[in-house]
Amino acid sequence: MPITFIDIERQKNWRIGLFFCLLIFLYFLFAFIIAQTIVFLFGWSNVFFVGSKIKYIAAITAFALTVSSVHFGISAFTAVDRVVEQIRAGVPDDEDGVHRVLLNVMDEIHIASGSKRQIRCLVIPTLSLNALAVTDLKGDAVIAITEGLLSRLKRDQLEAVMAHEAYHIFSGDCLEASVATSLFGVYAAAIEGVKDTVVQEFRAVPFLVLFWFLNSLGEIVTMFISREREYRADAGAVRITRNPVALAEALNLIAGRWSGSGFIHEGLEMLCISSPIPDHHDESEDWWDDLMSTHPPIGKRVDVLLQMARVSHSTLAGREKPRAVFQPEIEQLYYALDSEDTWIGPFRFSELTAFPWFTGSTKVSMIPTPSEFDDSVRSVDDIVRERIPVNLNMRTTFLCPACRQPLMKEAYVDTSVDRCVFCRGVLIDNDRIFRILARREIKCDERFRTLMRAVTADSLRSLTIRKQRLKERKLVHLTLCPRCGRSMFRSFYSYAFLIELDKCSMCRVTWFDADELDMLQCLIENKITDALVDRA
Amino acid sequence: MIAWIVIAFVSLCCFWAILSYNRLVTSRNDVRNAWSQIDVQLKRRYDLIPNLVAAVKGYMQHEKDVLENVVRARAEAMSTANLPKKATAEESLTSSLKSLFVIIEKYPVLKASDNVLRLQEDLVATENRIAFARQLYNDLVANYQIRCEIFPDMMIAQTFAFQSFEYFRADITEKKATPSAELS
Repeated sequence: MPITFIDIERQKNWRIGLFFCLLIFLYFLFAFIIAQTIVFLFGWSNVFFVGSKIKYIAAITAFALTVSSVHFGISAFTAVDRVVEQIRAGVPDDEDGVHRVLLNVMDEIHIASGSKRQIRCLVIPTLSLNALAVTDLKGDAVIAITEGLLSRLKRDQLEAVMAHEAYHIFSGDCLEASVATSLFGVYAAAIEGVKDTVVQEFRAVPFLVLFWFLNSLGEIVTMFISREREYRADAGAVRITRNPVALAEALNLIAGRWSGSGFIHEGLEMLCISSPIPDHHDESEDWWDDLMSTHPPIGKRVDVLLQMARVSHSTLAGREKPRAVFQPEIEQLYYALDSEDTWIGPFRFSELTAFPWFTGSTKVSMIPTPSEFDDSVRSVDDIVRERIPVNLNMRTTFLCPACRQPLMKEAYVDTSVDRCVFCRGVLIDNDRIFRILARREIKCDERFRTLMRAVTADSLRSLTIRKQRLKERKLVHLTLCPRCGRSMFRSFYSYAFLIELDKCSMCRVTWFDADELDMLQCLIENKITDALVDRA
Repeated sequence: MIAWIVIAFVSLCCFWAILSYNRLVTSRNDVRNAWSQIDVQLKRRYDLIPNLVAAVKGYMQHEKDVLENVVRARAEAMSTANLPKKATAEESLTSSLKSLFVIIEKYPVLKASDNVLRLQEDLVATENRIAFARQLYNDLVANYQIRCEIFPDMMIAQTFAFQSFEYFRADITEKKATPSAELS
């Protein structure tokens, strides 16, 4: 069904036929070289029992045609599934406030375009800022947006970005880009993933060669994809939303940030709203850059959009969705009356529990040496009672692995987490970690910096690649998964961010002790570079 | 020979007439379909408003005017059938809802309520859908009217009495007369 509202200059899909011809040619070349090598080594008559060279060429052609048909068929009909698997995109969570907005915006775009073609929207779990559209010959169409971009765009900007990607799909130019990507780019991306896991250098060589070969082929295909399509999609988005400024703002926001290099593979770049791999071709406009790049300069795209709205650059005042600002919590310290009637401290509540004389009736105070009738002197029972949440509806059936108290479900930056009100540890589903990191901002004070310096310095000291491999899945028997009760694995969040966390691979959840989530976010946002300098 | 030319000419004319008629019918159906989209979204908004009002009225004892404005505007929009008047009434309802959202922002309890937040998001989404559906409808009406008025399609349109559609836009004079909701 052609879209009724937009008068689209439907892209001719002649390029898809061209890709198929290119594929046949490549396989023909490959088969010809192999056959000629065999003939050279073993002699004509010994190898091929064929009467003439015409039959020989026909056999090679038939082989090339068959193999390329299979390759093309698999790639073109499963492009969506392969790309989605590659970027690990997931279905939006209806319980999540921000994801609900995304689903609503997708509906709005369907209505605005008047198209009956259904497009699914997915979320990519990364903090980078990018979005992509992919479709295949089956008719499946997907728009995927990164968690980072989703958390930073205001509603009108999100509408503009989604309209841009939807236009790629409605106009048909996404199909040729998807087919082009799925021919080589997806395989190159998969091999890049494998090659990174192969540690011994000599074993990685075949993967490196194959990766280079597929990447080069992908670059050849890139030459057929016009960068003009991005201008057309920008114009199409404006025709859908009637808001060029919002799209200009969104592009401006993306331009200055991480667009997914390292997460979104180079082979998928032609599907993205902005190239994830920084490339000098993207910022120039001569004929060679036009040939080699799939995206025009973002600055120029913004200029064109602002000209449409007849506004100047000064109106782009960096409008973006404000993130929730959090201060790392400072845990209350207590002084306790020990078995010899002496006030000792200060201790955290969890530290106090280690003393053998610690009971529910132990007297504690927040000041060092209170008098006997001081109001600040209370029993441990009183303090525990105060911490028990009033709203029992929020109590989950899962127990804190440290305190063995029920975890409380807590709304947190438009999603929810299970938190222990006693030790402030928090249990988070793995797919929600990115959402939380993307949607909030941590203010790093000096106390927190000191803590992080100590933690990262300790992690760095003990880290070598070999040791890390041994430690990677160290079983910690004391930390049991609150959901399934099995032992959790203690490992670093990643090689780049050395915070040790407890993970359950069965339930796909992670346990963060108090401060660990905040520390991780500060590390990711590069707020403690001085800690690394100190180490040097 | 001349007979063949006449037959060819008549066939060509018939072919063009059929093509033109089909295009007009398609356009007309697109317009009707777009209108039904607006209708669906308007109905959805009418259904959501009582839920939102019920969810917030307990906390907004001092903002009764705003709530009453919303309820009144909803009733007026639901009862109006005339298209320009309906558009005006819908705009009035949109404006009163915006005032309500501004007031909700002032109440931290309401901002923290998952139910209110959901209802608010649903209403904002519905407002946008109405705006987009209306935009689509007006564009399709414009395309259809052009098709009905340009030569030679106008001959087919007039012969088969293709009706014209009204744009869904507020009557400017009435819009000016519509009182804005109190923000305090």
